[in-house]
Amino acid sequence: MRPLTLRRLLLQCFALLVILFVVVVIAIKFGAVPVSLYALGRDLWNVLLHQRTNISSDYVLIIQNIRLPRILLGIMVGASLSVAGTSFQALLRNPLADPYVLGVSSGAGLGAILALIVEPHVTLSPVFAALLTPLGAFLGAAATVTVVYLLGRREGQIDSTTLLLGGVITASFISAIIMFLMSTLTGNLRGLSFWLMGDLSTPLQRSVYWFLGIGFLVASGAIYTTASDLNLLLAGEKEAMHLGVDVPRVRLVVYIAASLLTGLAVSVSGAIGYVGLIVPHVMRLIFGSDHRTLLPTAAIGGAIAVVFADTLARTVVAPNELAVGAVTAVVGAPLFIYLLRRRLA
Amino acid sequence: MSPGSSHARHLAEAGRLANEIRLSVEQISYAYSANPAQAPLFTLEATSFQARPGEIVAILGPNASGKSTLLKLIAGALAPLSGRILLNGFVTHSLTPRTRAQRIAVVQQESRLLFPARAWEFVLQGRHAHGRSLRFESEDDIIIAKNALAQVGAADLSDRWMDQISGGEKQRVILARALAQQPLLLLLDEPTLHLDIAAQIGLLDALRRLAAANRYTVVVVTHELNLAAEYADQVVLMQRGRCLRVGPPINIYQRELLEQVFQTPLTVELGSSGRPRVTVLAGTEA
Amino acid sequence: MKLANQLLQTVILSVAALLLGTAPSRAQSASLSSSSSPVYREVTDETGRSVRVPQPVRRIVSLAPSLTETVYALGLQDRLVGDTEFCDYPPDAQKKTKVGGAVNPSLEQIAALHPDLVLVTKGLNRLETVHALDNLGISSYATDPHTVNDIIASTKKLADLLGVPEAGASVAAEMERQLAALQRRLASSPAKRVLFVVWHQPLISVGKHTFIADALRYAGAVSIVDAEQDWPQVSLEEAARLQPDYLAFAASHSEASPPGLEALSTLPGWRIMEAVANRRYAVISDAVNRPAPRIVSAIEELARQLHPELLAEKPENLNENSVKEKMEKEKTGKDKDEKTPPPPIQPPHLAFSLPSGGLRGSDAVPGGRACAR
Repeated sequence: MRPLTLRRLLLQCFALLVILFVVVVIAIKFGAVPVSLYALGRDLWNVLLHQRTNISSDYVLIIQNIRLPRILLGIMVGASLSVAGTSFQALLRNPLADPYVLGVSSGAGLGAILALIVEPHVTLSPVFAALLTPLGAFLGAAATVTVVYLLGRREGQIDSTTLLLGGVITASFISAIIMFLMSTLTGNLRGLSFWLMGDLSTPLQRSVYWFLGIGFLVASGAIYTTASDLNLLLAGEKEAMHLGVDVPRVRLVVYIAASLLTGLAVSVSGAIGYVGLIVPHVMRLIFGSDHRTLLPTAAIGGAIAVVFADTLARTVVAPNELAVGAVTAVVGAPLFIYLLRRRLA
Repeated sequence: MSPGSSHARHLAEAGRLANEIRLSVEQISYAYSANPAQAPLFTLEATSFQARPGEIVAILGPNASGKSTLLKLIAGALAPLSGRILLNGFVTHSLTPRTRAQRIAVVQQESRLLFPARAWEFVLQGRHAHGRSLRFESEDDIIIAKNALAQVGAADLSDRWMDQISGGEKQRVILARALAQQPLLLLLDEPTLHLDIAAQIGLLDALRRLAAANRYTVVVVTHELNLAAEYADQVVLMQRGRCLRVGPPINIYQRELLEQVFQTPLTVELGSSGRPRVTVLAGTEA
Repeated sequence: MKLANQLLQTVILSVAALLLGTAPSRAQSASLSSSSSPVYREVTDETGRSVRVPQPVRRIVSLAPSLTETVYALGLQDRLVGDTEFCDYPPDAQKKTKVGGAVNPSLEQIAALHPDLVLVTKGLNRLETVHALDNLGISSYATDPHTVNDIIASTKKLADLLGVPEAGASVAAEMERQLAALQRRLASSPAKRVLFVVWHQPLISVGKHTFIADALRYAGAVSIVDAEQDWPQVSLEEAARLQPDYLAFAASHSEASPPGLEALSTLPGWRIMEAVANRRYAVISDAVNRPAPRIVSAIEELARQLHPELLAEKPENLNENSVKEKMEKEKTGKDKDEKTPPPPIQPPHLAFSLPSGGLRGSDAVPGGRACAR
């Protein structure tokens, strides 16, 4: 018997953080423009000494203004998608559940597109204008979750199969609306086709990073308070209730928080698939299915996966860029099959 | 106050507790209607019975007789249409899920797991209601879980995966989880359904031993007339949503009554243990 | 261990620096990219954005093939420090540092080139790219031509911004003169009804607000598609109902004709168009797809194929004066022209104003491309 202790949890997180750190260093080092670690260190030294004049402009422009924001974005997006996927899997007792299967990502995408359409017609201060798309995505995600949730209710009880089917149908319905909007509307929607494939290449306003970071901490913190409840939910809602879980409350908290995470991630990065599905499974195979470890390790694992995938997306065909969603799918799908088969063997 | 009088009072208290009614089902009924315009369809008509600590109550009846509805009402999973269920004086369905789980443990027919877990992890789930929502298991929790496994004779299963043990072993681990909840009331829904005869006897022997040792009140829903007769202190006989009789097996097991309830010819005789024994006469009327 | 320590510091400091807001302001980084005293000129670009452009513009990155061609036409190729992988004309443009594609350029590659100005065009680049450049403090200027006249005006404005107004005026005058000459010849002939095929599976054509639709008008043609959208998907039924006189295709100069062109007449949906059944195809240079000065040559090429009876002469005869002048320039390398204002820096690249035969190779027989019955 080896029950989970705080010490072991922190050890596991630390191990993953070391890997994340290595991946981040790799991501800083590599890119379309070569940067030597020596120059990087020298520039940092100057930053530290506040000797701004000695900082080479390459450091400021490329590392600080392009790569680091992108890595930061990758960390937040990866962690958000992974935590959202973990939560949906536990909540719906379905290992295939993730923001994409449930249509939550599509809903967030539609919300973001509607926000982009509305944006030119309203005058907002730049700070609010930058938040319009994330807000639209969150509302789209929340609205989709509500619709899918209502579709999944049978006789007042949530039925996982019906819910999942409702999600799949909703996802394809929303995708059709997105297609319709993209083919009928002119203007800047062309960029969306790229964005919908998953894209981290665009640096955002600083306020968006704060919004994203705070949103992630609040939402994943809320989910983490239900970590032991989620463990019991794996055995079914009825059983969880008999073991003392306030099922309706947990369901509400996790649905809202996971929608928020999905909405935030989709609004800034588009549709990066497989992260919410595969990272939780990998972490489960390594660390077990206890959500008290699974949630934080999946968050860090998601960050590692997306930063790594984005580094590949930036460098493989440099100076061109791949969509990071394509990379996660290419790397993720075979990995998933391998893990699945090893599990079965 | 002399030590002697204190001791006497303690004994009196213990005696009072032992004779106290722990579970009191008072005129509860349950009905549901598909829509508000329709007349409600009763799945359980007014039912009452009482149980003391250490007692085993068996709920018997054919399919669709309301056995499971009655069990769900006792577990607090359903709110009754009328009447109330008191556990140590508290109305069960108005307790929070946490408080309820500290007092009532429910053993389902089987437990399906989404992701693999080891037996000890599974048993520790029983401690959930006793800790704060986010915390790590204490030394006490681990000792209680180990004891629970030992009490059902499954200590050696501790590190096995739940999906790699036999049905009988699994049932014992599920029971261990219920014990880890340290409940006052243990509810079992057809616990012997998937077990072979030896495992059935083993489980019910364990149940009787535990009920006596830990002063649990046990309510079992079962189809096994003879097992119920052998192990139950009280039998609640149900038919079509109605409670027909409540009482010790010897009073309930009457040939005409059982033939009428189960719609099959049978004989009832007194076994060597002093308990009634039922033999179904298959094919005699065909 | 020491290295790991250093790396740890690196990351922590970088993240800290980022979070604590040590990112340079726009002016700061702009001053980093242009070494001289930063003098700015405030202009409004063609999308209505107010843009601050450092003067003079010494380092240009172009994010569209058309803009690359325009920069070359203005004789500013030495200031062009980077362009996209699609910038293949003139051939010298292929040697420039590539910053990726037009839709997804590498921002860090652009930043590393320290451009004073990034040129974008609304029809090709993404708004996100422009926003990203804004956030990085890199000036960008967007063009948005919808007609051939827009292209001429756009070229002049760009020349003005880049500090070579004379070159702009000269290029514009040459374009206008060639177009006017063409109009004179075509004036008597009714416009041919053309289906411009951007893509054939599915059939995508051009909307009426595109410069290509306008270019067709200059070539003595009219697009049978009259859509508000820029790149409408057209049903084959509609195309058959409208029965175009000709189908027009753009081929890049690396290939003789668009792939699958010969197979079109075997496809049932296409065969019902008489122009397909009779193989009345006009295949012109993909310069028609690029809103740059060279589009004039594509227009001439199309006009010759659609109106062979009016323009049957050798291309040299079409603009005899201008071509003679050019040949003279080529020989002497000097500007002795009195009719057109002298280009200030270098003779503008000849290719842009040459009739299409020049760029497609001498194998192009005038009129031969229109596979009329």
